[in-house]
Amino acid sequence: MNPLGLLVVGAPRCAAADVESALALLPPNLPVPVVLALHRGPLDALAAPLGRRCALPVVEPDDKDPLLPGAVYLAPAGYHLLVDRGCVSLSVEPPEHGQRPGLDALFESAADSHGPRAAGLLFAGHEDGVAGLQVLHARGARVAVVSALQTGGAGEDGAMAQLTLGSVGGWLARLAYVPRSKVLP
Amino acid sequence: MTGPGARGAELEALEVDLLLEGVARQWGFDLRSRSRPQLLRRLRHHLREERLDSFSALQARVLHDAEALDALLRTLSCTPPALFAEAAFFRDFRTRVVPVLRTWPSVRVWHAGCGTGEDTYALAILLHEEGLWGRCRLYASDASEGLLADARTGVLPLPTQEDAQRYLEAGGKGALSDYYTRDGNWALLQPRLRDGIFFTQHNLATDGSFNEFHVIVCRDTLLTFNRALHDHIHGRLFESLARFGFLCLGRKESLARTPHAGAYEMLEDRGRIFRRVA
Repeated sequence: MNPLGLLVVGAPRCAAADVESALALLPPNLPVPVVLALHRGPLDALAAPLGRRCALPVVEPDDKDPLLPGAVYLAPAGYHLLVDRGCVSLSVEPPEHGQRPGLDALFESAADSHGPRAAGLLFAGHEDGVAGLQVLHARGARVAVVSALQTGGAGEDGAMAQLTLGSVGGWLARLAYVPRSKVLP
Repeated sequence: MTGPGARGAELEALEVDLLLEGVARQWGFDLRSRSRPQLLRRLRHHLREERLDSFSALQARVLHDAEALDALLRTLSCTPPALFAEAAFFRDFRTRVVPVLRTWPSVRVWHAGCGTGEDTYALAILLHEEGLWGRCRLYASDASEGLLADARTGVLPLPTQEDAQRYLEAGGKGALSDYYTRDGNWALLQPRLRDGIFFTQHNLATDGSFNEFHVIVCRDTLLTFNRALHDHIHGRLFESLARFGFLCLGRKESLARTPHAGAYEMLEDRGRIFRRVA
């Protein structure tokens, strides 16, 4: 498996509290940037509440800001957040599924720029994000869906992992661990 | 592990590169310096709209047909869909920039990347209300002749209740409906606004500075370019801006890491209005 270069997370509005819990589980030594798109309205203040329990800083990047490991980049209101190798790229393309920021947009760009070196995590509850996660999956990225109910087996090789809020911590910990064990030939 | 989609992705990347090379050599529009993720997404969107199977098919069409190129450029551009789409900017402009403009005998304003003109007309309405229309020259430019032709007509989709609300939030002093006459589902903007705007074809990526301006509005236009071209264009904007002139960017655009960042001072914490001070 390729060493991890990026973690992308997408979540609908109804999962905001779950995202806050999941961010609290991020290993402080995560060696990659985390890019997060969460459906939001123009006036929601999100960075501060989401960062309360997170070991990494949560920031809303400006256009073309560099992506650095050990930070969470949150999509600002009214823009799609895309990743372009080493930096973010904001976009005012029309909303998709009625949403901007959109989840599919982020996942699609991660598939293009990082391919198998990306990992994708989708919180279930909205149609947006499903297609994008499948694109990521098809490019060989590690992907998982978090839903309230356990619906399938967790983490068989090659399949899309189905997680609950209880098991997402383990999945994230394995992401943080994998690169160091796999860099060696 | 290589997913089954990896080979398809490689082929797609090759086709995209060939398409961009073809467009650059045939039409002189170099799209290779665009922000790659955004470009790929817009191209895929265009492919679905045109009901084509591959970028090779699109290439065949675009190389032979200027109208197909125009349709492509239209898809790549993302103009705000309504008047006063971002009320906060216009409010900040009114409170922070207009008082300074009042003290100047004449003011040249450049809206770079005007698209179909929604923000240009909003700016014209604002300048009109502030009593500056008489001594302002408002230039609006875009790289696409097709979009400019739309903008020149002065016809927009009929503003909604929400548009009227945002106009008021932006500090509007009358009613938005004072500025247009209704024709079915369309709004015909007042000719005195339309006729006072100089629409001109100008490609930020390749064309030089064409005048010196006191205000440059270039909001969310540079998002579509990659870092290198973005920085290059900021050089051109700097050359085109008079000392103590204003540069208005989008809410999440910054001058950090651009060559002339040190020559500007930011007026607002949120509004991203910069003043050239050196």
